[in-house]
Amino acid sequence: MRVLLVEDEVRLAQNISSALRDGPGFAVDHAEDGESGLNLSGNLYYDLMILDLMLPKLDGLSLVKKIRGRGDRTAVLILTARSEHSSIVELLNAGADDYLCKPFDLGELIARAKALIRRGKGVADPTLRLGDLEVNSLEQTVHRSRRLVELSPTEYRILEYLMHRPRVIVSKRELLEHLYDYNWEHHSNVIEAHVSNLRKKLDAATGEPSIETLRGRGYRILVSGQENR
Amino acid sequence: MRPYSLTRRLVITVLLVELGCAVLILAGTVIYERHTHFRSFDVMLRGRADSLLGAVQDAEDPGDSVMLDGTEVNLPREDIYEVRDATNKILGRSRNWPGPTDAQLVLNDGGFFRLHIQGRHYRALKTGGVRVVDPGDKGGGTRRNVTIFYGAPTDSVWTEVWNAVEFYAVTSVILLALSGVVIFWLLNRGLAPLRELAAEAEGISVKSWNFAPSEDVRRTKELAPLAVALETALGGLERSFVQQRQFVSDAAHELKTAVAVVKSSLQLLIMRQRTVPEYEAGLERCESDCERMEEIVGRMLMLATVESGEADSGAASFTTDLAICVRRAAEELATMARVKQVHVALTGEEAVMVNVEPGQLQLVCSNLILNALQHSAAGGEVKAIVLREGGAAELRIGDCGNGIEPEALPRVFDRFYRSDASRSRNTGGSGLGLAICKAIVTKFRGDIRIDSTPGEGTSVIVRLPMEPPGEHL
Repeated sequence: MRVLLVEDEVRLAQNISSALRDGPGFAVDHAEDGESGLNLSGNLYYDLMILDLMLPKLDGLSLVKKIRGRGDRTAVLILTARSEHSSIVELLNAGADDYLCKPFDLGELIARAKALIRRGKGVADPTLRLGDLEVNSLEQTVHRSRRLVELSPTEYRILEYLMHRPRVIVSKRELLEHLYDYNWEHHSNVIEAHVSNLRKKLDAATGEPSIETLRGRGYRILVSGQENR
Repeated sequence: MRPYSLTRRLVITVLLVELGCAVLILAGTVIYERHTHFRSFDVMLRGRADSLLGAVQDAEDPGDSVMLDGTEVNLPREDIYEVRDATNKILGRSRNWPGPTDAQLVLNDGGFFRLHIQGRHYRALKTGGVRVVDPGDKGGGTRRNVTIFYGAPTDSVWTEVWNAVEFYAVTSVILLALSGVVIFWLLNRGLAPLRELAAEAEGISVKSWNFAPSEDVRRTKELAPLAVALETALGGLERSFVQQRQFVSDAAHELKTAVAVVKSSLQLLIMRQRTVPEYEAGLERCESDCERMEEIVGRMLMLATVESGEADSGAASFTTDLAICVRRAAEELATMARVKQVHVALTGEEAVMVNVEPGQLQLVCSNLILNALQHSAAGGEVKAIVLREGGAAELRIGDCGNGIEPEALPRVFDRFYRSDASRSRNTGGSGLGLAICKAIVTKFRGDIRIDSTPGEGTSVIVRLPMEPPGEHL
């Protein structure tokens, strides 16, 4: 998952980025002011935007309005130091999906971020199911045919992303963009190895192929058996 | 305290004045009515006495004497009379003549006197007349002088007087009542602008500062000054209230953000198991986050202290050397300047005495030089110049930084304003430095302004009043 964080307080931004990378393993881009946040959000596809309300150059509220104004449907979480009802109502009405008042709990921030991403992909249950494959996004555990599959963090993130887009071909570039920060290009060589490892581990449980590789186009999750969703 | 109504007070006052006037008019009426009635009474009395004299003339005279038996004249029954001749012989008298003693008949009022007979008050007249006996005789007959006493009761006169007074009294009371109602109504109408003003003032609250007195109130000569004063005071209050609220809101934002930094740093540290060096580095970061928070709180308190200081501190007398303060500030910041590789150049005059409290002047100098250092790139130069100009001391501190965008210039003295947030935050700025400088300079009747050319640099110019020359040795 790729997250855009727009926050002018550098130390707070560092902490949030570290927490999102360490915890759910999101790729985090950081912008220090509203204008660069707006530019970034226009150039790249994000699963979630976390915006501070008071930003230099362009404040959070105007930023939300501009993002929504150009038809961007990305989930938006606002960080605010104001807890007055009027400003919160105004924020939500402008198109924000959720808000957190400073000082907030990092755990809560991560949980809300995950919930918003889930919702954004049309999923309510934190456990993703596809055929005999089950991914618990809270505990970050994967079961195939009720058997636990041990995955590395990167492998897990690849699987989770593919699970969110079933039956769709996900290009290597898209996968890279959502797994790594700015310098995702450096990882392009290893992504194939990660996918290959992931496929091996998943298929070891049943022998059925789980991830299809379409040469030159990308990957597609393909799990046989009864589909629950 | 019991509330009292202005309307009621005014109505009562007017009615009391009216009542006093009515009483005076009534007293005048009594005097006037009594005077006129008694004049006509006297005329009547004289007329009746004359007709009695006529009767005496006409009376038959057997043996040179007249006897009035009361049938010859037609006079009211309650009247009294007596006729005597020159020898004091009684020629005739009314049946009810009480026969007053001669002492009683002493004249007191131009031929009139008062009598009190059988419980009734009488007014009587003594008049003389000439009776001609046998006018047919040769030589015109004998002339004899007669004296006539004639009196009539005065009760009816007094009744008439009292009737007149009663009429005026009743009319006055009715008029009083009517005028009371009319005055009440008129006052109510007349005081409508006052009530309106009160209602308008009642609508003012912390949430709604809207105070718009109507045209009626503004046109009322007595209320216009009050309305204007209220408007002015409210305008000032609203501005300072809004400013204060903005400050509290901004301060809350800053503090919450600072707390959020500390809290997130700690939570990040305990999110998962870490190595000892990781913990150590994390704790160091937490400590520096706490120091930032401490600095923000300290500066907020400093600003509050400066602003809440006595307003008349400008009148106090200080003799502080601006040049020394600048030099000391530069020495304090020498380490930072070295680290940033920025040269601080001090020029200008020596021993420039200004009327500013030393500690606060020092703070202004440090803040300005620190600001200039923060906005200078490595290899740059910060110039601090102290001058005497036009009876005031002037301090110019300039840097060769990026400058400030023209649209940001008017806001640089606002609290918590950062022209470039991320950079200031990185360098530890709280957004309060210039606000504190402005507060101090303004407090000591000085003036601070900022000039900036984007790309070339910024200079802050502070003008401070020189200490009074008379006190300087």
